[in-house]
Amino acid sequence: MKKYIFIGVGGSLGAVLRFIIKAIQINGYKNMPINTLVINAMGSFMLALILTVAFEMCKFDTHIHLGITTGLLGAFTTFSTLCKETVELMRQGFYILAVTYMAISAVLGFAAVYSGVYLVRKVAPVILKNRSNSTLKQGEIN
Amino acid sequence: MAWVLVCIGGALGSITRFILGKLISKRLDTAFPIGTFIINITGAFLLGVVSSLDITRSAYLFFADGFLGAYTTFSTFMYEGFNFFEKNKKINAFVYILCSLFLGIICYILGFDLGKFSMKY
Repeated sequence: MKKYIFIGVGGSLGAVLRFIIKAIQINGYKNMPINTLVINAMGSFMLALILTVAFEMCKFDTHIHLGITTGLLGAFTTFSTLCKETVELMRQGFYILAVTYMAISAVLGFAAVYSGVYLVRKVAPVILKNRSNSTLKQGEIN
Repeated sequence: MAWVLVCIGGALGSITRFILGKLISKRLDTAFPIGTFIINITGAFLLGVVSSLDITRSAYLFFADGFLGAYTTFSTFMYEGFNFFEKNKKINAFVYILCSLFLGIICYILGFDLGKFSMKY
């Protein structure tokens, strides 16, 4: 039962956050639904970051894990709106833009996951190493 | 008021995704992420239906922005695609992403037309 509460709370936060960002008016991109693009890329990056930390570095509480990944980030990013916006572009006759939008969404989402995973794998060990070095030095002084 | 509707819809949508995802992966034990696939495709279909119907703004906020927005997910979809890629199943990654996007659009259109059709009668 507890996990449903965590997912529910995370999901409601994610949905509201998406709703707020979607309402922001961004000028200069004409017909491209840039808001959803940013939402999906951001969410994919965060999910990759958190999952890589959880799977490869340190396990944390299952409920918090589910709340953030399945709840918050799962609800924040959306697939249905992406489909709707693509079809709407096609209905308005912007076929090339519609295909471009889909392609950019996929490529950007993939790149976001890639950078999230590699940021944790490459950068985190360096930070951890430096930290353990500095504690070692403190230990030597004391 | 809008926030509350999106909030409740979002909570229900993500819980539904979690339960359904678990059910599907239990029944169909495949390497292909069939759970997320089915969820995203059905979500796109349902959003088509909801978008075509003549419903109030509140109902749209609850069902579309709240429930279906949270029910479908892009981040897990991309992460699964990347997982294929990392395991050197590059073709699987490509097929999974392309199929989801293509079928998502088709199902949205189908849902929309079905909704419009049902409105006539």
